[in-house]
Amino acid sequence: MLFAAGLVVLCAGVAESTQEFDQSAPGARSPRNASYDIDVRLEPGDRSLHGTERIRWRNISAHPTSELQFHLYWNAWRNGESTWLRERRLGGNTTTPRSDAWGWTDIRQLRIRWPDDRVDALTPRLHFIAPDDGNGADQTVAALPLPRPVAPNETVEIDIEWSAKIPRPFARTGYVDDYYFFGQWFPKIGVLEDAGWNTHQFHSGTEFYSDYGVYDVRMTVPRGYVVGASGREVSVSDGPNGTAIHRYHEEDIHDFAWTTSAHYLVRTRTFQHPTLPGVQMRLLLQPEHADQEQRHFDATAAALKNYGEWFGAYPYDHVTVVDPAFQSGSRGMEYPTLFTAGTRWIAPRRDIALEEVTVHEAGHQWWYGAVGSNEFEHAWMDEGINQFSEARADEVAFGGNNYLVRRYFGGFIPWVFTDIRVQRHWDEGINGYRAQAESDAQATPSFRYWPSTGGNITYFKTALWLHTLEKWLGWPTLERGMSAYFARWKFRHPQPEDFFATINEAAGRDLTPFWNEVYRGSDTFDYGVQQLTSTPAGQGRFRTTVVARRFGEAIFPVDVVTTFSDGAKKTERWDGVERRIIYRYDSKARARSVQVDPNRILMLDVNYTNNSRTLQPRADEASLKWSLKWMTWLQDLLITYASLV
Amino acid sequence: MRPWCDGWRRVVSAPHAIVGVLVLTLAAALPLALTLRDALRDHLGSSLEANQAADGVNYDWWQEFNLQATGIATTFTPSVIGAATTLDVATALLDERRIVTPLAAALLVYLLAWLFVSGGILDRYARGHSIGGHGFFAVSGTFFLRFLRLAVVMAFVYWFLFTYVHTWLFDRWYVDQTRDLAVERTAFYWRLLMYAVFIALLALTSVVFDYAKVRAVVEDRRSMAGALIAALRFIVRHPGRVVAVYLLNALLFVLVVGVWALVAPGAGGSGLSMWMGVVASQCYILARLVVKLQVMASETAVFQRSLAHWGYTAMAAAPQPTPPVIESV
Repeated sequence: MLFAAGLVVLCAGVAESTQEFDQSAPGARSPRNASYDIDVRLEPGDRSLHGTERIRWRNISAHPTSELQFHLYWNAWRNGESTWLRERRLGGNTTTPRSDAWGWTDIRQLRIRWPDDRVDALTPRLHFIAPDDGNGADQTVAALPLPRPVAPNETVEIDIEWSAKIPRPFARTGYVDDYYFFGQWFPKIGVLEDAGWNTHQFHSGTEFYSDYGVYDVRMTVPRGYVVGASGREVSVSDGPNGTAIHRYHEEDIHDFAWTTSAHYLVRTRTFQHPTLPGVQMRLLLQPEHADQEQRHFDATAAALKNYGEWFGAYPYDHVTVVDPAFQSGSRGMEYPTLFTAGTRWIAPRRDIALEEVTVHEAGHQWWYGAVGSNEFEHAWMDEGINQFSEARADEVAFGGNNYLVRRYFGGFIPWVFTDIRVQRHWDEGINGYRAQAESDAQATPSFRYWPSTGGNITYFKTALWLHTLEKWLGWPTLERGMSAYFARWKFRHPQPEDFFATINEAAGRDLTPFWNEVYRGSDTFDYGVQQLTSTPAGQGRFRTTVVARRFGEAIFPVDVVTTFSDGAKKTERWDGVERRIIYRYDSKARARSVQVDPNRILMLDVNYTNNSRTLQPRADEASLKWSLKWMTWLQDLLITYASLV
Repeated sequence: MRPWCDGWRRVVSAPHAIVGVLVLTLAAALPLALTLRDALRDHLGSSLEANQAADGVNYDWWQEFNLQATGIATTFTPSVIGAATTLDVATALLDERRIVTPLAAALLVYLLAWLFVSGGILDRYARGHSIGGHGFFAVSGTFFLRFLRLAVVMAFVYWFLFTYVHTWLFDRWYVDQTRDLAVERTAFYWRLLMYAVFIALLALTSVVFDYAKVRAVVEDRRSMAGALIAALRFIVRHPGRVVAVYLLNALLFVLVVGVWALVAPGAGGSGLSMWMGVVASQCYILARLVVKLQVMASETAVFQRSLAHWGYTAMAAAPQPTPPVIESV
């Protein structure tokens, strides 16, 4: 018995991979060990940014460091041989960026101010490193050897002067027309853990990881442009040469993104809830989507409400929702207290793509924003957990109005299939997972996943195993575990084991075998019925034989339910370990059908059609009906092409 | 308007042609439908999933089926439900979606069959009276080889349109015009413009080939190059009539598709509702075929009213074979 019995009550003794100094700073919610003061000026003429920043960085690891490391993400688009572009090609996108698409960041000056007020100008020492793949052409991580080490808990100030060429949109950052979206736009210090620097290169399939701090950012843009950014707008003042300076401030965040455009419509609402704190929602909307204003607010409120009730209150008092411009490529991305949604000009109410992306990105304020997991290495901890949470919130908030939609004519014309109401596990990506179920083990560092299939493992596999847990343990248990995880790990950097330990604790049992299957392995689950016979055994009785089979390598306990023609049912609980199990029944009625996992607890089963068998099959009816429908489609196709001859 | 109404009369007066092309379309589609049915049945097997698939839509099973599907089975998507069919097919044509090999083969056979019966149908519409089944096939056979020569030109022109013009319009020009757009609505209008241009080119091309066939049949032309030039000359000299009839036919097509969009059956169940759905679908297919026949008939009428007269064909009707009973006398 792998799953039953042996309940291990794990309570106070849960091991946490806490760094020595990974504790909140006095009076703060987070360690605040990487704080930024930034002045940045947008030059629309040559599509460039020019900035100065001061990073107040404290060593929260247990060891001194004689080196600092910085991310320069925009250098991923400096040349065609960056790791990001190499991986994009591996993933199947071989498009060569056009000549005006490139982007980069250049550090002009770098100085360090030590606690004793000594200042060292260290620009010449900066050099690029490629800790993940040794790619000499990649310039997304820079290392800076220090003249003397920074001791644990010691703080230094790093002054950087830099300029950057704004790319056409890559990875949701860049410009199109006079719309600008800036993510990962400033030189950013890496994360120093007890094990050393965790500063990964920019990869095409994964996102980011950074420490918490206080951000105070002044953005100079052409006067009349609307600005949206992480944090709250503190002031707007006139700048030189027809510019305006927008100052934003936020505490306990680990990144800062901003956007500006002359065309945004600005709308605000307040989210109110009987038990959750109010949140001001600020929406920057494209004018062509003015009629979808309410939908954006409703979806954001749905996330604030449901995530808040399930996991814990949204930890800030405001959030900015950005409706990105067409062709900006900045749809669907999360940043602290700001996220991009994304909709279409023609967006019927029963097509909830807008709601889904809005809830998803708003949901990242919990799983990414507040709980600062390492997205390079454990992308499932934000994307996967959030995919599960989003699908659940979608079902609760919009499930009654969620239909399958296909888009035709270049994607512009939607068609709603009112016969097909979307189910939650489709939103959880069951089809994508099944297609690539064995492509990578989830425990592999996410940036090493195969680029074109990594998303299926990161997002969908996680969502499906969490859904499995929900059905297996019950939602109250899982909710208790996830809310405890949120409460325990917000404003910190959890590891996978921290999540598993918290869920084990809530479940009151050791779920290690399950974690081994879904996280550490890449085997698939596939239980099914191999045989069902029910023959007369004399004296009006029937002899029924059921053979249930484990077709996949992964193991999970399942129910096997046999239904008889008089309505009686026999339910067997199978541990699912052996390759097959045989059940024999002597009954007064003939068996009608058998189902393995009839309640569909195991959402990861890669083939559910083989989970049942009936002695009164209707495959003939179904196949006839659908083949006739397909025939009409084919006839239409034939006639349409025949109209040319 | 009068040639168009005249065309209607000719279509209505030849119900065998309507039934014939419906049977032809069914015959082309049915074998593949049976193949798909076998694939669906095999995948469902004795599973209980078939119940929901029979009674409505089982999209869970459908997605599983699609994951392992190959060949024609890959085209079994939700687009087969209701009016999505027409949207999907039109998108396939206008967005140049690749057609899987078995379907492409069936399409080729179907187009050749149409090429074969086109001569007979045009002759029937031109004469205004039946010349019997034997006569119909004799005329069809006579013109088939000529139309095959024309088809070589058609194939080249359409290949050029779909390979080069389509690529230029949609993959280059449209992309160039829209990649820096911040407003989707503008891109949509660009897309509409591209469709309009491409549809206009297709329409112009098909009209030229249509009139080439009409002239070949009515005037018994053996040279297809000559028929093409004559068709072009005719269109240039009678643009008003040609365009008017074309637009009326296009309007009829839009009407048929519009009505279908309103009444198209959804997934439905099995049994009676399934058969009612089949009847409705076949009515739509029939209407589409009638539109195509109306195009042929009305274009024949336009030509005859302009350069010949109602019922004129240069080729004499094929002689009826001597009945065996005469020889025995």
